[in-house]
Amino acid sequence: MSNDVEIQEGEAENNTSDSQKPEKMFTLKKWNAVAMWSWDVECDTCAICRVQVMDACLRCQGENKQDDCVVIWGECNHSFHNCCMSLWVKQNNRCPLCQQEWSVQRVGK
Amino acid sequence: MSTPARRRLMRDFKRLQQDPPAGVSAAPTENNIMIWNAVIFGPHDTPFEDGTFKLTLEFTEEYPNKPPTVKFVSKMFHPNVYADGGICLDILQNRWSPTYDVAAILTSIQSLLDEPNPNSPANSLAAQLYQENRREYEKRVAAIVEQSWLNFQDEDDGEEMKKDT
Repeated sequence: MSNDVEIQEGEAENNTSDSQKPEKMFTLKKWNAVAMWSWDVECDTCAICRVQVMDACLRCQGENKQDDCVVIWGECNHSFHNCCMSLWVKQNNRCPLCQQEWSVQRVGK
Repeated sequence: MSTPARRRLMRDFKRLQQDPPAGVSAAPTENNIMIWNAVIFGPHDTPFEDGTFKLTLEFTEEYPNKPPTVKFVSKMFHPNVYADGGICLDILQNRWSPTYDVAAILTSIQSLLDEPNPNSPANSLAAQLYQENRREYEKRVAAIVEQSWLNFQDEDDGEEMKKDT
């Protein structure tokens, strides 16, 4: 006994779809795109001086050196103002947030 | 007159007002932002409950890279508080981090009240009673809780007396 199963070819082709296009319900005349953004950093406030890392730190704001104030990222991905961090690592070379040994990942803006 | 330390302290004060932590309160003194007065309320369900303990915090221009000197003004009976009110707490010494602010310091001290560290005693009698005679310990604490209310009224008179002399 052979159990030949015949696979039926898809015979039911839908011929109904193109037959009639419905009238457009509405047309788009104008649209406004709205986008949200945020700084692409792990923590956006410097936990040492409590100012946004993308703004100048408290020290540089006072001394009018806003342009020189850059951000430093550690291997732990925590970021601070370079000025704030350079003062801290002099006395303790650990990340103030996670207490890991501090090693620099990158410096910049 | 504004320095990074002073401006950071202004931020601490602002944060303290906008997002006040439970059971602690602090403000800079009227004419010197480097010296603060604070009050810690004794935590519920502890022998310190209902106490209103006054403290002072003294900051230097190195803040927040260096911790402030924090002292109890109200009489305290606690294994980690010295007779002069000085506090033995790791985060105020070797475990200090510049990310701490006034709110964090005070809440840490508040939680130290019911979780003393008997291994680094600053008050050996308190440490001994805490470990060996908890009933007597709690009796002594109850006494300083009551004193903390009296202190609160005396304090203003005391300051006026200082001005007079």
